[in-house]
Amino acid sequence: MSVTSQSPSNAAYRDPFFAGIILLLWVLLALFVLYPLACLFGRAFVDGGTISLQPLLDVLNNPHHRRAFGNSLILALAVGVGGTLLGFLFAFTAVRGGLSRRVIGFIDTATLLPLISPPFTISVAILFSFGARGLITYDLLGIKGFAIYGFMSTAAAEMITYFPIAYLTLRPILASIDPNIENAAFSMGASRARVFRTMTLPLSMPGIANAFLLLFACSLADFATPLILAGNDFPVLPTEAFLQITGQFDLRGGALLSILLLVPAAVVFFLQRYWLQGRSFVTVTGKAGSRSSVEILTPAMRFTLFALCGAVSIVVIYFYALLLFSSLVVAFGANHTFTFKHYHVIFTEGLPAIRDTLIIAAIGMPLGGIYGVVVGYLVARKQFWGRQSLELASMINYALPGTIVGIAYLLAFNDKPMELTGTAAIIIACYIFRYSPTGIRATIALLHQVDKSLEEASESLGAKSFTTFRRITLPLIMPAFFTGLGVVFIRSMTAISATIFLISINWTLVTVRILENMTELSLGPAAAFSVLVVVIVYVVLFLIGQMLARFRALEGGRVESILGG
Amino acid sequence: MAVTAAQPVPIRLTGIGKSFEHGVKGRIHAVRDVNVAVVPGELLTLLGPSGCGKTTTLRMIAGFEQPTEGEIHIGEKNVTGLRANERNIGFVFQNYAIFPHLSVFENVGYGLRVQQKPEDEIKRAVADVLDLVGLAGYAQQHPHQLSGGEQQRVALARAIVFRPRILLFDEPLSNLDAKLRVQMRGEILQLQKRLGITTVYVTHDQEEAMAISDRIAVMDRGSIVQIASAEDLYDRPSNEFVARFIGRTNLFDGKMRDTTNGRIVVEALGQTIVANSAPDGILPGDTVRVMIRPERIALTVQSTTGVGAKVLSRTFLGEKTEYHVSVGDQLVQATLYGQGKQSAFAAGDSVQIIFPADGVHLMKP
Ligand SMILES: Nc1ncnc2c1ncn2[C@@H]1O[C@H](COP(=O)(O)OP(=O)(O)O)[C@@H](O)[C@H]1O
Ligand SMILES: [Mg+2]
Repeated sequence: MSVTSQSPSNAAYRDPFFAGIILLLWVLLALFVLYPLACLFGRAFVDGGTISLQPLLDVLNNPHHRRAFGNSLILALAVGVGGTLLGFLFAFTAVRGGLSRRVIGFIDTATLLPLISPPFTISVAILFSFGARGLITYDLLGIKGFAIYGFMSTAAAEMITYFPIAYLTLRPILASIDPNIENAAFSMGASRARVFRTMTLPLSMPGIANAFLLLFACSLADFATPLILAGNDFPVLPTEAFLQITGQFDLRGGALLSILLLVPAAVVFFLQRYWLQGRSFVTVTGKAGSRSSVEILTPAMRFTLFALCGAVSIVVIYFYALLLFSSLVVAFGANHTFTFKHYHVIFTEGLPAIRDTLIIAAIGMPLGGIYGVVVGYLVARKQFWGRQSLELASMINYALPGTIVGIAYLLAFNDKPMELTGTAAIIIACYIFRYSPTGIRATIALLHQVDKSLEEASESLGAKSFTTFRRITLPLIMPAFFTGLGVVFIRSMTAISATIFLISINWTLVTVRILENMTELSLGPAAAFSVLVVVIVYVVLFLIGQMLARFRALEGGRVESILGG
Repeated sequence: MAVTAAQPVPIRLTGIGKSFEHGVKGRIHAVRDVNVAVVPGELLTLLGPSGCGKTTTLRMIAGFEQPTEGEIHIGEKNVTGLRANERNIGFVFQNYAIFPHLSVFENVGYGLRVQQKPEDEIKRAVADVLDLVGLAGYAQQHPHQLSGGEQQRVALARAIVFRPRILLFDEPLSNLDAKLRVQMRGEILQLQKRLGITTVYVTHDQEEAMAISDRIAVMDRGSIVQIASAEDLYDRPSNEFVARFIGRTNLFDGKMRDTTNGRIVVEALGQTIVANSAPDGILPGDTVRVMIRPERIALTVQSTTGVGAKVLSRTFLGEKTEYHVSVGDQLVQATLYGQGKQSAFAAGDSVQIIFPADGVHLMKP
């Protein structure tokens, strides 16, 4: 009798069910991730059947484009540094400031708002405040014709929009630092500043680096804020690419510009994935001590931190209050008579956009949730050939700036064989492959916490793989499923950078309507739309939070995981 | 040896109290009116059940918490109000609080760096102290490469290297396994005696406290109940809490009968029992608590002075045999050492219990 040794690396392929699923995933990834990218590169570099770098050199030789590239990097750097500083300030205050629950709740609310808002929200509020007829510049300070457009306002708007991501990234890291480590250094005679410099700061360094990279990538990809605030003198790549395509119908130029964007985005992605991974100093010394008061802050310092965070929070809340106000008056800055007119507009003329957006979100949500869980499960639990490539491929659209994905989809699905332009399917596919990776990561993280023996026990009882997955694994990873649902839904409601290229007469989106309203200078409806999106997302987030709470027993499913990164 | 004994200093806590504002329970008095004078060079242990305020007291000595009442002196200096970094203390934390991003060398040398000692002096001092705690050759290791016991030694080395005026330990052994715990407590004691640094040590483990301490302060609900040597606590606890917390014990209600001629006679278990001393202020007719440790009791078949009892159960444990016997409706534990099988009693046997006068201790109720 001979025993045939099985290759463990192909174990999953021997199960026809999993082989089928893996094959299906590869087909989908090839179609919606790799093929569009190939189209993008093809359009950029292939000219009449020959590969040529000349178009890229032309783009690089254009001083305007070179400036856009430089501006994008400078902006991303500024937002990365500034946003991380703000996020650190908030996280440090929340963790070490000795604030009451209520104050922290207030801060959390203020930081939640930018995360669940459609694009332009902060930009509009800044225009309302500091524009030519702005509440602060014109009404309060009486400055005539104040020019808000440019680097400063764009950077400020993006910092306020994105610093909550840094806050959510840094808070758990700071919270995991055992206060007794700081106390130990303190008891050895170190000054507070020295304790901060030699303990708190280095211990949170991996988190700081991560937050910086996240914000850098967000700013690099942000297309909406510069479109409103950057003005003509501060071009950046995503908006240039957009204008190239929509303004000059130059698809190749847009493709080339978006490829320039790809370089720094890829650098960030690989830094995060291969350099930062596993670089954390989570407590090596067993259980953290009991609740310990922390001596590294004097009451005066605590108060200062609290005052700073309070001031920023108040600015954020002021912006949203302004938005709400302007959605309820006839014409902000000119006629402050109360009216529901703008809401009437968005629920009549704007209704198709709301309906389309909700339909797309409602279809994308379950599909994205399931896709995330399936990929996460396969990557974390199954051995098969090409597993790591599959994971990497599934992350690509997530890591790429939306402008690149949008242009790539536009190029890929405009003609036969895959003519999808103008359908809802293309928008849904874009959302699923772009925003499910959060669900994939949540699933992987959760499965790493769940002992594999549970599944093996089921298999040893003769259960088929699918039965095991459905009866044992699926209930365990429900929190990750809801996380995935939440992210896809929120982004379906708020994203614009990729889908702006994919809308059509048949299918449009609320975020695109907001942009149109803004370019037509009908700011009232834009504000009303934004308020509506914030409310819808808030409600859905709340419901998902409730679902996650039901699975509280298993860690790994917190609302934060939906919003961070 | 570079790490030498410095002039040891006393520690004095006068009327120390600490209360916390608790969200639900209101004001909690974690520590109240604690008075302790730690003698120079002494190792004093704070012993008590979890939550009795040991850590809070220790952290007030360290300066991590400020007392809400009272004063703290280290040496002649009133340090109340000074922060931890101004008190010159060495602190060993329950979870060691090793700096996870620094090597063993950098961990141990941190305090010296802070004092801006020259680099070669730091090198020498760290090498010496690592030698002292048995970690020679570990300087370049990183914390995650160390076992629990080794981390404990790093924490110890880090606390003593800059020659603090006092040493403070908060349950330093509670994360180690039983065998290592016994070994490490011996090493800590040896080191403390060698350095002669006045030390306050916190534990909830009575055996550990007895093994290591010059004196033990027993705490209960924020207050110190008794400060004494291990022997005194064991033989002459000041109240029932101490008697029960340390070792196993028998306790009965009794009534004082007679205190003449230095012989103290109490009535307990329906019999008369004789003791050698009585607490102050107890008069004939007063009620008292009578304590006797199980191993001080003798059991015999026949005796003229004994108390009649019945054996309920017997547990043979090798070196000793434990009996549960009943005297009337009162249960009494007795432990006999070195008893062979022939002389053993069986359940149901009638026996006589003898309470030797020097084993009987009387307490106020
Ligand atoms: N920072 C704090 N805030 C509120 N209550 C505290 C704080 N620290 C300790 N306590 C309370 O004080 C009491 C004593 O705690 P602790 O000194 O840690 O006890 P032990 O070390 O003896 O176990 C406990 O009831 C504890 O809950
Ligand atoms: Mg304690």
